[in-house]
Amino acid sequence: MDGNAAPSRTAALRQLSQAAHRGHDLRLEQITHRFGDGIAVNGVDLHVTGGELVALLGPSGCGKSTLLRIIAGFISQTAGRVLFDGALVDHLKANRRGVGIVFQNYALFPHMTVAENVAYGLQAHHWPKERIAPRVAEMLDLVHMNAFAERRPSQLSGGQQQRIALARCLAIDPKILLLDEPFGALDKNLRLDMQIEVKRLQRIAGITTLLVTHDQEEALSMADRIAVMNKGRIEQVAAPTAIYDQPASLFVNQFVGTTNVFAGEVIEISAHYVRVRLDGGAVITALPGSAFSVGARIIVTIRPHHLRLAPSTGSDGMPGVVKTVLPLGPEVVYDVETAGGRGVKVVVARDADLAPVEIGQSVHLVPLALHSFRIFAA
Amino acid sequence: MSTPDAPRLRRHRIDWEAASLELLFKALTALAVLFLLAPSVIVILTSFTSSASLKFPPPGLSLRWYVALFDADQMQRAAWNSLQVAFWTTLISVTLGTAASLAIARSSSPWIRAADVLFMSPLVLPALAFGFASLIFVYRLGFRPNLPFLVLAHVVVCVPFVLRTTLAALTQLDPALLDASTSLGASPWMTFRRVTLPLIGRGVAAGGFLAFMASFDNVPVSLFLADERTEVLPIHLWQQIETNLDVRTAAASGLIVLFTLVLMIAAERFAGLTRQLR
Repeated sequence: MDGNAAPSRTAALRQLSQAAHRGHDLRLEQITHRFGDGIAVNGVDLHVTGGELVALLGPSGCGKSTLLRIIAGFISQTAGRVLFDGALVDHLKANRRGVGIVFQNYALFPHMTVAENVAYGLQAHHWPKERIAPRVAEMLDLVHMNAFAERRPSQLSGGQQQRIALARCLAIDPKILLLDEPFGALDKNLRLDMQIEVKRLQRIAGITTLLVTHDQEEALSMADRIAVMNKGRIEQVAAPTAIYDQPASLFVNQFVGTTNVFAGEVIEISAHYVRVRLDGGAVITALPGSAFSVGARIIVTIRPHHLRLAPSTGSDGMPGVVKTVLPLGPEVVYDVETAGGRGVKVVVARDADLAPVEIGQSVHLVPLALHSFRIFAA
Repeated sequence: MSTPDAPRLRRHRIDWEAASLELLFKALTALAVLFLLAPSVIVILTSFTSSASLKFPPPGLSLRWYVALFDADQMQRAAWNSLQVAFWTTLISVTLGTAASLAIARSSSPWIRAADVLFMSPLVLPALAFGFASLIFVYRLGFRPNLPFLVLAHVVVCVPFVLRTTLAALTQLDPALLDASTSLGASPWMTFRRVTLPLIGRGVAAGGFLAFMASFDNVPVSLFLADERTEVLPIHLWQQIETNLDVRTAAASGLIVLFTLVLMIAAERFAGLTRQLR
């Protein structure tokens, strides 16, 4: 690597993709962390392979931030092991772990210029002076921020600050990149741009990345795999589509995407289907999932997109009355009140030739397919 | 019938109340400013007197007492002592106070809280009692009061100022900045030197200024711990007034007021003093 070469984006890209070949492997084994009486992280196992982007998705207080701080080395876990490339790192202090973090508020040093911010980590790693300036220029080039080198963070927009935070972090070539709710402070349009940008850089660098977020859209759009956390545990680790289509638990089902939830009782089981009487009285047919016995109390869920409105002539499906109609461009959202007063959301593609179902109309809610229903233990 | 009238009546009364309240506050403020400024103004005017007595208003104006200060050896020595004591007190208070506030800000242990209260206690305890106690303490240790002991005692009463302003600055400091520094590979010392200190520097400086002033015009502690050789300015001035109504004390006071003003303006410019104390 020639540190004196004129900084160019291609050089930076080439160097980053060289790094890609050594994407580091992150393994968490039975991580548990207690705060006083509370348990923040409870027996978490997670394996992130080199270059992969995994999202830790969960509501606030689910333990994802604690897990991030454990990986970064800011706190020591009560039990369990953290391994980079199969080597234990628990004994390494946070400043020796080689973990790069982009913080929610970017945490740029307000009293330094952009260039000084990016140079900081290099100075901490005792880079020789003459190599620091070219490296800073390279990194700023990578995030298209050369023109801002002498600015102060307070003079930058949120998106620009994030680019600098990313450049500062990537400059030291970290083994693992941790993104802590990085897009939360950005407005919606900019957020998408930055997500694309971050994903691009992450791909080029081939850097193993953990994205901590409570925003399901962010996780679904960015991650190779999603680990859904709840109450200190990982409920499911899977590809975004699998998380959405085959949620392993009711929590995952409700947290990722919207869903309608019903309580009911199993009344009939066969090899091909299971029949459930919902508490409102309607009987639905679903595919047999887990082993339930007749008479078991269960929870049935179905996503609004997986229901359609049928005229109330047939006896199939759940009877209800349309209460609200929201035509949202390509789709129409209906709020249908079913027996027992439960509101059910239904989303259907808008057909320009057909007038939407009107408020007050009686309808039957019919699933698009038997497997649209998901059944969980109550 | 009475209902529609009631709001109007009430509004009328509130207007009167607000007006009289405002008048009261203005009067109180004027009174406070008068009480704060009047003594200084009187002393400064008196210091320009042409007569040989501390008379107000002065019968004529002259600079003779300021000129006389050039020959006031004892007073000069006392002033030099005061400056030395204030300098060392400030240096030690800033070092210890900053270190202590870093620990206090970082920890939530009840012991640290207790230490915080202990360090702050000189601010509320009678300084006279502390001065007397430290005199006994010094004698029990087998020493006589001297400059180092005077400085140490001043540090005890001046550290709270540094502690408060530095703690206030530290609460403004985003902990994510420290985490960012650490994750970028910085040692704790580098983080302190490059991130923490520059960001809390103004708070520390404001505390240092207050500590300096508190030491410079401290009477109750110096009263006990200063002897002939280490006599400090406030004590010397007091004795001059008590024994022979020396007009030079007025001139010295005038200089102290000027000195304080210059320091305050400097502190305001470089440390944003009033902002740090808010």
